[in-house]
Amino acid sequence: MTVEGTRAKARVPLFVAVRLFAAVRRSGALWRCGVTVPPLGWVWQYLSMPDSAANGSASAHGTAPAVELHNISKGFPGVIANRDISMTVERGTIHAIVGENGAGKSTLMKTLYGLHQPDSGTIAVNGTEVEFSSPSDAIEAGIGMVHQHFMLADNLTVLENIILGAEPAKGGVIDSREAARQITELARSLGVEIDVNSPVAELGVGQRQRVEILKVLYRGAKTLILDEPTAVLVPQEVDELFENLRRLVDAGTTVLFISHKLDEVLAVSSRITVIRQGTTVGTVTPAEVTRRQLAEMMVGSDLPQPEPRTSEVLDRVRLEVNNLSVSRPGRRDLVHDVSFAIRSGEILGVAGVEGNGQFELCSALLGREHSSGTVAIDGKDVSHASVRDRKNAGIAYVPFDRQREGLMLTSSLWENNLLGQEEKFSKYGFVNVAAARAACREVISRFGVLTPNEDVPAFALSGGNQQKLVVGRTMSMNPAVLLAAHPTRGIDVGAQAAVWEEIRTARDAGLAVLLVSADLEELLGLSDRVIVMFEGSVVAELSPRDATPELLGSYMTGAKVAAR
Amino acid sequence: MKLTGRARLLVFFAVPVALMSIVRLWSGEDALTSSDTIGASLRLSVPILLAGMAGLWAERCGVLNIGIEGMMIFGTWFGGWGAWQFGPWVGLMFAVVGGMLGGLIHAVATVRFNVDQIISGVVLNLLAFFGVRYMSDLAFVGQPGGGVSQSPPQTSAIPRFDIPVLSGGEVFGWKSPNILLNLEERGWFFVSDLAGILHGLTHNLSWGTVIGVAAVPATFWILWRTRIGLRLRSSGESPVAAETLGVNVIRLRYLGLLVSGGLAGYAGGILSIVASSYYRQGQTAGRGYIGLATMIFGNWRPVGVLGGASLFGYAEGVKLVANDAISTLFLFVALAAVLLVVAAVVNRNTTRGIVTAFVAVIAAYTYLAIDDVPESLTQSLPYFATLVVLATASQRLRPPAMAGIPYRRGESH
Repeated sequence: MTVEGTRAKARVPLFVAVRLFAAVRRSGALWRCGVTVPPLGWVWQYLSMPDSAANGSASAHGTAPAVELHNISKGFPGVIANRDISMTVERGTIHAIVGENGAGKSTLMKTLYGLHQPDSGTIAVNGTEVEFSSPSDAIEAGIGMVHQHFMLADNLTVLENIILGAEPAKGGVIDSREAARQITELARSLGVEIDVNSPVAELGVGQRQRVEILKVLYRGAKTLILDEPTAVLVPQEVDELFENLRRLVDAGTTVLFISHKLDEVLAVSSRITVIRQGTTVGTVTPAEVTRRQLAEMMVGSDLPQPEPRTSEVLDRVRLEVNNLSVSRPGRRDLVHDVSFAIRSGEILGVAGVEGNGQFELCSALLGREHSSGTVAIDGKDVSHASVRDRKNAGIAYVPFDRQREGLMLTSSLWENNLLGQEEKFSKYGFVNVAAARAACREVISRFGVLTPNEDVPAFALSGGNQQKLVVGRTMSMNPAVLLAAHPTRGIDVGAQAAVWEEIRTARDAGLAVLLVSADLEELLGLSDRVIVMFEGSVVAELSPRDATPELLGSYMTGAKVAAR
Repeated sequence: MKLTGRARLLVFFAVPVALMSIVRLWSGEDALTSSDTIGASLRLSVPILLAGMAGLWAERCGVLNIGIEGMMIFGTWFGGWGAWQFGPWVGLMFAVVGGMLGGLIHAVATVRFNVDQIISGVVLNLLAFFGVRYMSDLAFVGQPGGGVSQSPPQTSAIPRFDIPVLSGGEVFGWKSPNILLNLEERGWFFVSDLAGILHGLTHNLSWGTVIGVAAVPATFWILWRTRIGLRLRSSGESPVAAETLGVNVIRLRYLGLLVSGGLAGYAGGILSIVASSYYRQGQTAGRGYIGLATMIFGNWRPVGVLGGASLFGYAEGVKLVANDAISTLFLFVALAAVLLVVAAVVNRNTTRGIVTAFVAVIAAYTYLAIDDVPESLTQSLPYFATLVVLATASQRLRPPAMAGIPYRRGESH
């Protein structure tokens, strides 16, 4: 490893030193570098590299790539997640990795970050072959990862979260002032402002992501892995994130980012590697491909269309909500005076930055949260009805967080599928196991859940497949009103199309849908009407024909307020 | 209404003292704020305080510790045995080691083998209870004054002292004045009450008690100012995040439970060495559980635990020193509750207003209507107070996020 022997106490000087070293090496003055002397083995390997390899993988400046993966394979019991993956990431670039869910992107990145070890194949960082037995090894080699699910401790402060594990300390006592200074400096280089002493629990999603990035930079990372960083952001936040990343790249950092949003990928990255079914399909530049070609590389076949389709909205009101408000002790109105009606055969989209009352709205509609105002399902007032009564009246729910609200992770798939349908599948209090299993198998085949059978525990499934099971379970209940919160979050293009198709078919058969989604494309493509929630209130109602992502974004961030 | 540092001090200390003074002058019961009562309260608070600290260390590192009672039992036994054999200081050390043994058992069960944390704690309590009985059978039976349920009496005790000038302690043979006692005896409003409280806290102090109270600043400093403290707290808040940053969660949980056990053991040692002069079965009397209540009461923070332990210790102290004065405590509670009702009205907090008004009415009725308060009722007063606090403040409590959830290395689904 090139940074061997430079484990200075303060990580930022190390960061600077490494960058300086990189700059000096780029100028070809390797031998003059007095700051850091690389291990001899590295020099030898570099000098003895065959010409062809150097041409193929190194840039014109003659520097080794930031990361090289050769023939990486990684299997888990029952599945092969990665097979013969090879790719090269040039230093100082944004390199995207795209692929469907379950294609093996996350597995690959976890391998690179040392969270597990490959079964075969080699990893080289800056031209040196490395073996990471834990994330600490990867961090030491200058690789940092921002996970899809943020790894932050809510009750700790921003500062504590960032320095954890690499605290500047004198005799074991944390030097908070020094830490705050370093973090503020890093934040400035990233172009963001952050209050280091506020608890993470008080931050929004975008800010949390920045804390994660700072956490990685604080450890001196010069290669940054971002696992689906934009999945949780609104368009404006996405722009800010990319702006931050460009600044980093200009300063010499390498960014590897995983995504399946092709527009973003084409817009920001200089190279794109496509992974399908655990192996690399190819690496392209954005100039070489169109969005459609890229998508076809990803899926390996013709693409489904997320085009809007006209539908016939019937007159019959299935869900009517009047003046609904939710408040909790000591909190301002979480949902404030919301009214709407959804007719049979209609999809009402709800746009909004997460945490602006969508969750509480759904909870209140389900009867999980105390609320004022009235709710009627099919003309029947259920304002004071229990969750079960509302369910029996025909309401069904695809939850925001599949793991927390939707699944028993350690239970088998068929038991998970049985949840909420116990009455349907039991007699005299005994569950008809055979029927429950058969129902689960049907959901598995209808929604293409990738699993060996219905007996595996839910945690063994990838996130996308878990989501397919949850959606499938909900749809198989034949609801009259569907509350769908992020129904396609984290699932691949093929399954996305299947879920859309299911929702559309059910809609055409008279289902009323409340669709909460962060994916504006999905929202505009599916909905018949869109409302925007900001700080608990509905601030706009639009037709998807008039709404652009930019317009929605400005309502979502409160920059613009419309009269309803 | 957000209070700043000095205003908080005023509200949480000066106002109760003033209320106490009013109650004292009204009812004529001097014992409420006498130095004797406060001294006894301090002695009785310390074991509860340490039990609370033991809970705090365990839950901050991510493990529930129902077994504090059992660790305290180990502490009383090992402390009693060590003090009988080798003198009180060695006894206290044995108490700590005995408690740590309990902590280690809990750690191996919950951290290494992922046994349910509640079950392991309960088993530990049972194990301690019957284990020390067996050991007593081996060590104490047949000794003069010893038996299966108690140890022979100890021959020496931990020295006690008075703080010079304030409470008449001796400095190099010079008998200094006793300013606080002097003030206390005047019977002035507020001033004498304050002097009585301070005198109680500064005279006839055992070194064992002083060391015990020092656990509060020490815990705060270690957990919130040092590197190891931050890592330990992160193991309780988000072990997955901690591990991805190279923090050894498993090791820190062992450490946290060892410290937890040591503190609980010391609490037991105080009971069998400082508060009495022999080990007796059942000496802990459920203080381990009360300690857990003070931990929740104190929002998992050292100073808060100190506040909770003081409350329980004071109620016990009044009962011990001035049983007759107990009924006046209800008057105090009633007055305090009225103040809280006013605060709730100002803050427009309906729920809290109703709850505290209810408490005020009950307390006032108890004071006025019942001449002879049954002991069981007075004993339940601190629990009652804890329930009220939990009912009104639970939204602001911030327990460690992952306390109670087993963690396996490298597992994050």
